[in-house]
Amino acid sequence: MTSVQAQDGPRPADVAAPVYDPDGFWDEMFAAPGAVRAHYAPLARQLATLSADEVARRQRAAELSFQSRGITFAVNQGPDGVEKIMPFDLVPRLLRADEWQHIERGLEQRIRALNLFLYDIYHGQRILGSGLIPPDLVLGARGYRREFRGVDVPLNVYTHIVGSDLVRDASGRFFVLEDNLRTPSGVSYVVENRRVLKRVWPQIFREYEVRPVEGYPQDLLDVLRAVAPPGAEEPTVVLLTPGIYNSAYFEHAFLAKAMGVEMVQGSDLFVDDGQVYMRTTHGRQRVDVIYRRVDDDFLDPLAFRPDSFLGVPGLVAAYRMGRASLANAIGTGVADDKAIYAYVPEIIHYYLGEEPILPNVPTYVPTRPDDLRYVLEHLEELVVKSVNESGGYGMLIGPHASQAHRAEYRARLLADPRGYIAQPTLALSRHPCWVEDHFEGRHVDLRPFVLFGREVRVTPGGLTRVALRRGSLVVNSSQGGGGKDTWVLAGGADSPTDSPMEK
Amino acid sequence: MLARVAEELFWMSRYVERAVSVARLIDVTLHLELDDGDPEDAASLWAPLLRPALGGGLSRFGGWGGQGGAASAPLAPITAAALEDGGVLTLRSAPAAGDVRYDLAFNEENPSSMASLVRRARAAARGVRECISSEMWEQLNTLYLSLVNPRVAAEAEEDPHGFHKRVREGAQFFHGLADCTLAHDEAWHFITLGKYLERAGSVARVLNLETHLLMPGGGPRGADEIVRWLAVLRSCGSAEAYARYYSLRVEPARVVEFLLLNPVFPQSVRFSLNAAWEALVGIAERGTFIRGGARGADPAVRALGLLRARLEHAAVDEVLEEGLDHYLSDVQGRIEVVAERVTHSYLRHEAQTGRVVGIARAAMIMAGQQQQQQQQQ
Repeated sequence: MTSVQAQDGPRPADVAAPVYDPDGFWDEMFAAPGAVRAHYAPLARQLATLSADEVARRQRAAELSFQSRGITFAVNQGPDGVEKIMPFDLVPRLLRADEWQHIERGLEQRIRALNLFLYDIYHGQRILGSGLIPPDLVLGARGYRREFRGVDVPLNVYTHIVGSDLVRDASGRFFVLEDNLRTPSGVSYVVENRRVLKRVWPQIFREYEVRPVEGYPQDLLDVLRAVAPPGAEEPTVVLLTPGIYNSAYFEHAFLAKAMGVEMVQGSDLFVDDGQVYMRTTHGRQRVDVIYRRVDDDFLDPLAFRPDSFLGVPGLVAAYRMGRASLANAIGTGVADDKAIYAYVPEIIHYYLGEEPILPNVPTYVPTRPDDLRYVLEHLEELVVKSVNESGGYGMLIGPHASQAHRAEYRARLLADPRGYIAQPTLALSRHPCWVEDHFEGRHVDLRPFVLFGREVRVTPGGLTRVALRRGSLVVNSSQGGGGKDTWVLAGGADSPTDSPMEK
Repeated sequence: MLARVAEELFWMSRYVERAVSVARLIDVTLHLELDDGDPEDAASLWAPLLRPALGGGLSRFGGWGGQGGAASAPLAPITAAALEDGGVLTLRSAPAAGDVRYDLAFNEENPSSMASLVRRARAAARGVRECISSEMWEQLNTLYLSLVNPRVAAEAEEDPHGFHKRVREGAQFFHGLADCTLAHDEAWHFITLGKYLERAGSVARVLNLETHLLMPGGGPRGADEIVRWLAVLRSCGSAEAYARYYSLRVEPARVVEFLLLNPVFPQSVRFSLNAAWEALVGIAERGTFIRGGARGADPAVRALGLLRARLEHAAVDEVLEEGLDHYLSDVQGRIEVVAERVTHSYLRHEAQTGRVVGIARAAMIMAGQQQQQQQQQ
């Protein structure tokens, strides 16, 4: 804000002002320049009553609130790491009841199929004999834990907590970009973004009936209790964190506190005679369920990486013996391997006999020779991703990359075709975001959170991540992405199937 | 509750309380300096507050060290050896008063500076966020952010009294929030225990450093002596309450009596130890010590009970006769023992380790299962 603007007096922050142009992308708010989508109309009216200064003031108030409440993530891990807040954009992202119902059904279908797949590949391996998916791809995946074949998990559920990334293309259709089946994070922002927006812009909530997201911690605790080892009457649940230097530490504390369970570090636990205990001020206390926010590799130095200080010696043995449950189960990484992702539509067909409700993004798997040839010929159009990386690391965005960068990926693809996949560069949908003193379109995605215990439950909301740099397609917080509150609108008279009465 | 969490809470609370003491001490010394008016004397007022790294001085706030771990790194202890080596008198050159103030307030390399203490308290709080109230965390975080603000050092020189008041009140507010936003259960007991043990130790340390004033020829006489003892009271936040009790007749023996033995004033050593004892019994009662029969079975409770009794039945004349420095050193040493025993009984149980035998057996069972599977396949 410059003083010149301040002298001009309040200017309307009306997003419908002619300056805002969807530029040919699918815009969440605008069907065309100046044409607000119906469900955004009350929001647009409210925005039009605010001056640019008022928008900026609320934006600052929101950021201050995140700062003083310590809602931060660590950028460089370790004692010298910097704590940053995730930039927050004031304007919420709205999802209609019918849009949400579609997403909900699609995710439930997908998660059920993926859990049947995980059960299968850790038991009879029927699918590997079907010819639908190359056995090498599964058995050779870094996330596949052959030593857990034959180990049963409670309720046969492997992925109790999932955060799938959805995107919308230029036609407005939702696609699943990736499944996060190991230790997905971000749900604390779903809840905190809502709390902060209520604080800094309460007026806007009077315009809508928004489905609450506060229930997530209770739902999560229900799931964790449901998967306790058989015989644990009043199961003790804990959350295992790598500690304060982990980038998602705030979230671990947030969830432990909201659920009223202990947040433990590896050193707080020990295993004695196959049973897991925590060290308390009055002696040992048995632990039944561990919501672990630690990767498989670091869980137990006796079973996996011996150099891990985060884990608990003997934990894996206790888990195998069924004395303690882990959420998510060990070995789920195989199912969110990006090369196996390409086969999820086949997996849904195979186990459920259904058409996928939410499609995959078309994916080239370079272990297929035709795909490799195509990828090498079209590097300047494609996005190439390492199969085991996440957080926006280890990827090439062809159209934005330098010649040298593309050449580097060409060499990598030839040397290790199993290590990469490629996808067309998607024209991700955009949403108006406040940039300095006006609104501009920024690309967004959507990460809903899915819980699976006795039933699948999708929290009505999600994290809308925003690529804050103009034109950027990378929404990860580690790469300068921000967040928006995400509203699932309650179904009105026109969509009675969404009312809770019907369920 | 988790032993690690209890330990973090205990130290978090001590660091915050210690920051209050440092803020008071700087503020009071600043007032003394202004009263004195002679710039030559300034160095001799500030020098005793120095830590060794600044040229041979002696840290007043060394105190008893921590028990290791990220949040409880030991502080530089005051040792008899340091005193015998001449302590403050071996300063090679007098440092500027402003440097000392900076060192005590903002120097991150000085583990006893306010900034270091608040940073460590915050680090401890961060590790146990799920066990303290959001209000407490926000308060401590705000206090921390205000101390690492790049402009804060200049502001503190500009308005030192206002600055130290803000830090002191910020830290006191934190403890107030602990009292009214937490259930008074085990976590709160550990916070309370830390606060009062620290306070008892701090007051004993401040008094101990002034014992030389009681020696013949050991300090200023007349009006200056009164100013000095008033400063002692102020650095323990006790001047107003003292005046109410003794109509501001500042006599060394009365000051010592008030700070050491007053049963109802919350800044006195006796009061603090009583409050610490209540908290410790609250902790012990949840465990087996009471159920097992005698309260005295817990070594930490016993050590603190004995120390309480020592102050409970003391008379100031006898204390002075015994030698105040001797008496205070004994009290400080006993507080240290209590802290060690609390650590041993509750925070770092030795018995709580997985037996290797158990792990080995689990591994054998695993191997057996694997064999069975292979046979099935």
